[in-house]
Amino acid sequence: MKSRFAGTTARMAKWRRAAAVFLVPAESDVWLSYLRVGLGLQTACYCLSLRADWSDLFGDATSRTLAEKILSLESSLVPRLGWSAALAQQLGLTDDLMLWLVWSLLLCGACALLIGVFPRFFAALIWFIHLSASKSAVFSSYGVDNFMTIGLFYLMLAPLPDRFCLGALWPRFHLQDRQSSLGDAADSRSHLPGFWRRVFQLHLCIIYFFGGLTKSLGSGWWDGSSLWRALIRPPFNVVAPEILVRGKLLFPVMGVAIVLLEISYPIFIWQKRTRPVWLVAICTMHIAIGLTMGMYLFALVMIVLNVAAFGPEIRIDNVRQRMAQLRPVVSPS
Amino acid sequence: MSSRQDRTLRRWLWLAWFGLHFSFILVGSTRETLSLVARGLTVIPAKLQGRAGRTESVAAGLLGENASARNPVRRAIVTYRHVAGIEVGYGYFAPTIPAAYKLVFELRYSDGRVDYALPRVRSRAGRLRMVGLLDEIGRTRSDALRERLIKLLAAASWREHPEATKIRAIFGAILLPSIEEFERGQKQSYQFLYAYDFSSAE
Repeated sequence: MKSRFAGTTARMAKWRRAAAVFLVPAESDVWLSYLRVGLGLQTACYCLSLRADWSDLFGDATSRTLAEKILSLESSLVPRLGWSAALAQQLGLTDDLMLWLVWSLLLCGACALLIGVFPRFFAALIWFIHLSASKSAVFSSYGVDNFMTIGLFYLMLAPLPDRFCLGALWPRFHLQDRQSSLGDAADSRSHLPGFWRRVFQLHLCIIYFFGGLTKSLGSGWWDGSSLWRALIRPPFNVVAPEILVRGKLLFPVMGVAIVLLEISYPIFIWQKRTRPVWLVAICTMHIAIGLTMGMYLFALVMIVLNVAAFGPEIRIDNVRQRMAQLRPVVSPS
Repeated sequence: MSSRQDRTLRRWLWLAWFGLHFSFILVGSTRETLSLVARGLTVIPAKLQGRAGRTESVAAGLLGENASARNPVRRAIVTYRHVAGIEVGYGYFAPTIPAAYKLVFELRYSDGRVDYALPRVRSRAGRLRMVGLLDEIGRTRSDALRERLIKLLAAASWREHPEATKIRAIFGAILLPSIEEFERGQKQSYQFLYAYDFSSAE
């Protein structure tokens, strides 16, 4: 009895150690540099692409007031542009000027994040402004806003500054920021980036698993009709249907491939042998979505998230090697 | 508190956050998937739809959504899910691709002239967002919300055409042909859904 109890305790201790090693690995913060630079670029592209429509989409004459009223029924603490508008009103600024300031601040913040100036401050600022904008225009927001919020949320909480920040070259720039982040980490300087990377990786796995699962529940992804519909649905109809129809035999194959790629992502992305292949395949899928459906921002944010989470250790020659290993060997007859 | 105790407490706090964070993500995603099944949008047999609906209700309960809107726990969960970007599931373009929607404004002038206009956007990124808004209008079951959103778009169009005295907003669905239908020469077709009249007096 005593030995059985001792055995169970030992097993539990082993699992606990294994869980700790998995959840809090000792890792470098290179992935964080990828995420910071990637999200800085993404936010800059987001600002520039919406430059012409910014006031029309987020102004008080649009659905902003309605969206914020509905949001208030759920929670009054979620950031929204109405807060900035109220502040602007107190200062005697017009709504248009407030919107222009918000846009400028977002773009400047994106540039600062890109080069790594006060990265934690700017990550938090960008997260706040972007979240405010997407919640105030919730009726016109789509997947890209959701994934930007996720990325910026993790970036803001992760232990910035990373080693490639401008502060690393010019330390006095970040002295305070660095001290506070290291102070938090205290005993686990190399474990804190590892923990946040795991959280981020696990979240991506859930995203793809459920993306694949919900697609697999519709017959259209198995016979290719959903892919066809996605490509000819305005405004995603970048490629003329007359051209698409020539490759009609590929639609069922591509549809099934997308479902399987997404649903099996949480399995194959973890294994060293298959990780490069899955990462390249998933990024290729997002590039294809960007090019054939015109969803450039969506493609960019997904590639940034994937590369930051699983890409830093992968090198091109590694990918070639893995692809060659997975290719079926044809023996001469 | 000693530094060792402090470290242990901090570890437990991180672990609790990790557990809660991923519970919200998993329950939220499961809930959305079950909702698709319960609404009969998937290939899952009809007899399982009721069960999916009941399980979805349990998942909603875990997210505090069955509590009153003023319940502080519910409001705290909703706030956290919004700020972390985990308030929605990940079933993009799934399980099927819905119809596209189109909104056309028929502008009437005092001299009897009639003009047509689309909601104004200047960029491709803006167009993608406008499509999201039209999808929301097409999807919603609330007549009041649909009318309110269309009215806001009509008001924007009015600012562009201030001489118009009346605007009729015509909302419809774009029906997409299948590959076979397209090969037989069928193109996209338009199905009228709703029309709303607005006058300058409003």
